[in-house]
Amino acid sequence: MRVPEDFHYYLSRHLDCNERLLARARLFTPRDLEISTDPDAMRLRKMVSAVMGEVHRMLAFVRLKPLGSQVLYGYLKPRHRIGEHVCDHFARRTPGIIAVLGNGSESWISLCREGRIMRDHGTGMAETLERLRSSLDCPADGPVVGNPNVDDLNVDDLWQVYYDSQYCPEKKNLAAFHSRMPRKDQEAAGLRLVQNKKEVTLDDFLGG
Amino acid sequence: MVTLDKIAHLAEDCRFDSLGPAASVNPEKLSLLGEGTRHDVCASTYSPRETPLPGICHSFTQDGRCVSLFKTLYTNHCSHQCNYCTNATNCSHKAKTFSYTPEELASITLSLYRSNYIEGLFLSSGAGRNENDIMEKMVETACQLRQKHGFRGYIHLKILPGASHAHIQEAMELADRVSINLEASTATHMSEMCATKNYENDILQRQRYIRDMSTAVNLPAGQTTQLVVGAGGESDEEIFKRIIYEYKEIGLKRAYYSAFCPQEGTHFERKEAQPQWREHRLYQMDWLYRVYHFQPREIRQAFDENGFLHNNDPKMAIAREFMDSPVDPNVATIQELLRVPGIGPRSAQRIVALRKRQTILAKSELAAIGVRIKRAAPFLKINGWRDSTLEMWSE
Repeated sequence: MRVPEDFHYYLSRHLDCNERLLARARLFTPRDLEISTDPDAMRLRKMVSAVMGEVHRMLAFVRLKPLGSQVLYGYLKPRHRIGEHVCDHFARRTPGIIAVLGNGSESWISLCREGRIMRDHGTGMAETLERLRSSLDCPADGPVVGNPNVDDLNVDDLWQVYYDSQYCPEKKNLAAFHSRMPRKDQEAAGLRLVQNKKEVTLDDFLGG
Repeated sequence: MVTLDKIAHLAEDCRFDSLGPAASVNPEKLSLLGEGTRHDVCASTYSPRETPLPGICHSFTQDGRCVSLFKTLYTNHCSHQCNYCTNATNCSHKAKTFSYTPEELASITLSLYRSNYIEGLFLSSGAGRNENDIMEKMVETACQLRQKHGFRGYIHLKILPGASHAHIQEAMELADRVSINLEASTATHMSEMCATKNYENDILQRQRYIRDMSTAVNLPAGQTTQLVVGAGGESDEEIFKRIIYEYKEIGLKRAYYSAFCPQEGTHFERKEAQPQWREHRLYQMDWLYRVYHFQPREIRQAFDENGFLHNNDPKMAIAREFMDSPVDPNVATIQELLRVPGIGPRSAQRIVALRKRQTILAKSELAAIGVRIKRAAPFLKINGWRDSTLEMWSE
């Protein structure tokens, strides 16, 4: 892993990070962390890498659904304190659209407008979405975006059909699959656990 | 923090439908045209643009390969006779023919993109009746995405063999990356695989067009290519020769290798499948050249007398051939360090940074900065002390 300039930020987002640890970390430069063989530095490096790894996989695994034409929301329950950071990413990805991420107990709301980010932090996701629904005056559970008359193949189904088409059975490599899509990260992003429908054998379930 | 109501109010101001239209599509078409590209690779969506796009892998299939793009054919109708391809005119087991429209493709791409399933579009195609008609549709798809919907995601367009200079230019203006598949390593091998493509004119000449039209602004992620390994009977050394030419003369960013696998009904259906490890070893060879900057004469040591790689790590084979004495990490140059199995470009740089501060005294120090020490130890000498086994050096 390459230790970034702003590694203190990532460290501060770690579940087990505290003021004392951050103070110690200020004694180190990114280069120190990268090449140090000192156990303390190595521990900090591991913590930074754990947070960055989770951020990276949440950017990849979180799936969003539209609510009206101005909100995209998705499930997120990270181990580290990265909710706001991940939510900002999605706000930047779709400027002018409100990104809402969250779970039963907390939620993050971000909007990117003219290059600036505005954000809020709320209680459970359901409550936040309800409040947004009433402020934005969007239909309770109506058709989401675009033309309501089009026979819309649910995006999730559309994805599943496409995803299944990409599998090459002759290249099957479950070890690589499991290491790249760790179960705990799939769960943190609320991903319907991914598996190919084709060629699934009993071994896959036992071995998984 | 601003309040939720204020955010809602501000979003209300941006009253444009930036989410785009919802997609509707025939699942059979989606599946079949998707299957048509399952052997095609675009490994990363990273694009060094003005605002760089990060490489994100949204999903992986059970073969461990990432799915970060909506990778599909525009149509599976094709007028070529490639002996390995199920869309070829000489394939007896042909699937139903489907084709998208640019509108359909744009809306599927937008739907998947906004829900964060993908980072962009990878569009390939059969040649249809005429490759330029299809190229036009592919360019039109990219144009709709970029210009009509303000799509900022990644776009990779395949250039069809024989496509016109004008279409290539248009594709390059819109895409992050374009590629034309070499499929074979030489014109002779191409003629084994396909009777309807002229290697020099339809493929190499188009690669040069792309090279000559590349500027600092268009095509941020450059040009790539892909080969079907083993379909035309070529050796790894022939592939290697071609690839060096491609990196040096064409300025290729990357090459991809796909081990041949016989498909039912094709002319090559009885031809033996290539082992997956061959593909893997070719990638390792490619890495040694492109990332580790090994000299071609060093890499050639990994080929046997028939020009084939064996199923073991080529870097290890080269090290056994070339390294006459163990390397001292406290004095070796970066190039020398890079030649030690288990030391990559990043750990080589870290070793150099570390030894400026302290003398490296133990294997554990190297392990702590990312050296795969079990592989590296037999080739290292640390302050006179070495861990190499006698057999290693007497072999």
